[in-house]
Amino acid sequence: MSIRILPDHVINRIAAGEVVERPASVVKELVENAIDAGATRVEVATAGGGKSLIRISDNGCGIREPDLALAVERHCTSKLPEDDLSQIGTLGFRGEALASIGSVARLSILSRHAEEPHAWQIAVEGGRRSETVPASHSGGTQIEVRDLFFATPARLKFLRSDRAEATAITEAVKRLALAHPEIRFTLSGSDRTTLDLSAARGESGALERMAQILGAGFRDNAMPIGGEREGVLLSGYAGLPTFNRANSLQQFIFVNGRPLKDPVLAGALRAAYSDVLARDRYPVLALFIDLDPADVDVNVHPAKMEVRFRDPGMIRGLIIGTIRDALAREGFRSASTGGLATLDALRDRAAAGSFTRPPEPGTSPAWRSWADPAQTVAPDVSSAAYGASPEAEAPRPAMAEAGFAEALSAFAVLDRPSADARAHVQPAPEHLLARPLGAARAQIHENYIVAQTGDGLVIVDQHAAHERIVYERLKAGLEGRAVQRQMLLIPEVVELPEEDVGRLLARSDELAEIGLVVESFGPGAVAVTETPAILGRVDAPKLVRDIADDFAEWDASTRIRERLDHVAATMACHGSVRSGRRLRPEEMDALLREMEATPQSGQCNHGRPTYVELKLSDIERLFGRR
Amino acid sequence: MKVTIERANLLKALNHVHRVVERRNTIPILANVLLRAEGGDLFLKATDLDMEIVDRVPAMVEAAGATTVPAHMLYDIVRKLPDGSEISLETGEGGTMTLRAGRARFSLQMLPDADFPDLNAGDLPTSFTLPSPVLRRLIERTQFAISTEETRYYLNGIYFHVLGGERLRAVATDGHRLAKAEVEAPEGSAGMPGVIVPRKTVGEIQKLLEDPEGSVEVALSDSKIRITVGAVVLTSKLIDGTFPDYERVIPKANDKILTLTKADFERAVDRVSTVSSDRGRAVKLSLSEGRMVLVVNNPDSGSATDELAVDYEAEPIEIGFNSRYLLDIAGQLTSEDAVFKLADAGSPTLIQDQTAEGTEADALYVLMPMRV
Repeated sequence: MSIRILPDHVINRIAAGEVVERPASVVKELVENAIDAGATRVEVATAGGGKSLIRISDNGCGIREPDLALAVERHCTSKLPEDDLSQIGTLGFRGEALASIGSVARLSILSRHAEEPHAWQIAVEGGRRSETVPASHSGGTQIEVRDLFFATPARLKFLRSDRAEATAITEAVKRLALAHPEIRFTLSGSDRTTLDLSAARGESGALERMAQILGAGFRDNAMPIGGEREGVLLSGYAGLPTFNRANSLQQFIFVNGRPLKDPVLAGALRAAYSDVLARDRYPVLALFIDLDPADVDVNVHPAKMEVRFRDPGMIRGLIIGTIRDALAREGFRSASTGGLATLDALRDRAAAGSFTRPPEPGTSPAWRSWADPAQTVAPDVSSAAYGASPEAEAPRPAMAEAGFAEALSAFAVLDRPSADARAHVQPAPEHLLARPLGAARAQIHENYIVAQTGDGLVIVDQHAAHERIVYERLKAGLEGRAVQRQMLLIPEVVELPEEDVGRLLARSDELAEIGLVVESFGPGAVAVTETPAILGRVDAPKLVRDIADDFAEWDASTRIRERLDHVAATMACHGSVRSGRRLRPEEMDALLREMEATPQSGQCNHGRPTYVELKLSDIERLFGRR
Repeated sequence: MKVTIERANLLKALNHVHRVVERRNTIPILANVLLRAEGGDLFLKATDLDMEIVDRVPAMVEAAGATTVPAHMLYDIVRKLPDGSEISLETGEGGTMTLRAGRARFSLQMLPDADFPDLNAGDLPTSFTLPSPVLRRLIERTQFAISTEETRYYLNGIYFHVLGGERLRAVATDGHRLAKAEVEAPEGSAGMPGVIVPRKTVGEIQKLLEDPEGSVEVALSDSKIRITVGAVVLTSKLIDGTFPDYERVIPKANDKILTLTKADFERAVDRVSTVSSDRGRAVKLSLSEGRMVLVVNNPDSGSATDELAVDYEAEPIEIGFNSRYLLDIAGQLTSEDAVFKLADAGSPTLIQDQTAEGTEADALYVLMPMRV
């Protein structure tokens, strides 16, 4: 068969395969067009998971009549004014989207440019373009895509269920909406519940939009992120370590307003949180990187999900550094959802039939709880006590007496609270109440410190909290001084690919500073002559290979630091107050004060909170007072 | 099988063999000890597949035969029986062996003796005899330096080899320090291959060498070693690897000679290292004419300084060491004075006993400094 140039409609369909992968990518391309057109309102409507209909209306600048016919042609765009691919200021630039969509679907564009007397309409069906005809439209552009992939049945077969495609569209719209809080987005259709994201302007706008998309909890558990290095600006909000998820779906990174799924950036995020989060948990965040378009190549991926930076190491450093700073600054905060989760747990148990009761005059001050009230208390009391009727809140004295006596007799077999060490019998001093973690009031179960704050109560896990404090102290000590190095009698020769050897040797000074000395040993090997003394006997080959891999992938390695920190963590665990140790009131207060002063004391080394806070309002809600 | 045996004899034999048996096994029979009654003897054998120990004790054999029973349990039972009791062992129907002593009676689950693994030593071409204390000293001087790091498995043992047909030498190193001890080569050791004896085997051999009067027979090939001490025979696999060329790391030209009283030095190091943290216990030694200053600096807790009068005439030097390594080595030295031969703060240091003019120390230690 002879070689020939493919006809245009085939070329378009091949291109469509890259750009238009599924309905969500159509929505992404068209919404990006709307944003590039300067719209302040974007409405998206879909049906059948976007397979049967996608309609996108905006109030952007619109398209002039003579441009309409060109717009649906391949490689036609209004977005590269200087024909300079290094200065891309818009989301789109390839000039492919409309042509690609037109070649695989029934596309119709209805648009009115401000300077046109009326609107114009054009339709493309499977690559065949109709004439431009006059039409009626109030302003902006409305694009309808029907029967997506009708021209390429093979692709149609590979689509997922309507529901899955509809969800993907929602995700695509959310991603773009996060980056553009000033635009109002509505997403509706027969296949979904309507999503209406009202425009939010100003300082708080971005956070407002994030709360709309990432959930209201994000607002209370986010730290503002701000950093700049060599003209690269990093902004946005990152979640507290204790506000984490089991997957990375709630991580959004934008480069010049463009949502990305970039493995390099994901790695940087993991490194930034490595110290405060277990490896299989992911922080929630939305970060914006803004830099000179000349320093980033977006022309890497047809759907522009990945980009290439001129200096990826610097971007990585910026992300890690800025987030770590924020973590150190906000570190002692712990997720407020801890308190909410506590409330939920209490409510659940109440619903399941057990309840907690406030102390009554004449009985022991300790709270008693028992698993099955029906066995110890007359049933009417148990049900009534939790009911909302006011007189049930104070059970009849006789009943209460009887109930309590029985409760005591049944008590031995039940969960017995350990004797509490009381901190202050007198009212808590005012100046302590004003502190973030309040004044220690008691220790319960020999592990939890209950503290009173101005507007609530705080429960502290003494072991987790003290472990973190000792850990941070040891770590600070390690960072401040040179690492002692044990010289090796017999250098360990590690064989490596040549390029790894080059990378390691190029940074040997940096490695020596943290205790690892490597020397050249022929083209394909390095000799390790000194190792960090604190690590004891190390598996040098494995360590060196891991570092080489890190250099190859990230251009940086935190591995030795991590190992040193790990030693510190182990020492911290041994050197901290165990649970089961009774603390004197002064010790409890000292621990609370130290937590307030220690960066990142809000969570243990695995991202679990070291304390939970219950606001007075939460407690009142628990008792139905609000 | 039916035998009657003195408790003391059985206990001594079990003492030798039961240590080889690992506490947790994936192969059930490895938890057992093999008992074989033959002629006037009871043979006991235990193995972990890398090493086996066989012991023989006199017994009254009424019916010859063999079986295997759980080693640690048998040992514990015999240990708890009253002194001087007579123990009878009898295999019965239903897969159990009955142990009787006085009025106590135990039934132990058996596993068939035919399944018990054999190490199969094969041909052991080299063999020689040494006085027990000599081999014991070789082991004691070097054992502490054996590496525990799994990646360089060839350092997980003591390297025994013969030098020029004259010296039998033992060497161990963990990459931070090295210990070398040697004795006159015994007759028959001339053609001996260099062998690396694994750490666990070294420990077991050492326990067999308690008799100061006894002698020990050593037989070996390049993959197995057999040690015979009286009735006890220990056979072990050797580490299949090449020991590094250690001679190169032993410095020859260290010219700064330091002589000090070992006991004083040990106490001073121990004293100043009190302030160091758990890991990386660096102690800095500053040497000047006739004087050593020991300094430990721990930014977390404080610092310590001590001073010793020493015999030193070379130019002043400052050098750091891991204090634990210093104490380990000092603990091995036998003479009253210790000799250090130093070059500079970044080169290996030689430590040995003070010897009379013209004689060489039989043990030598090399220690790598720390950068502090």
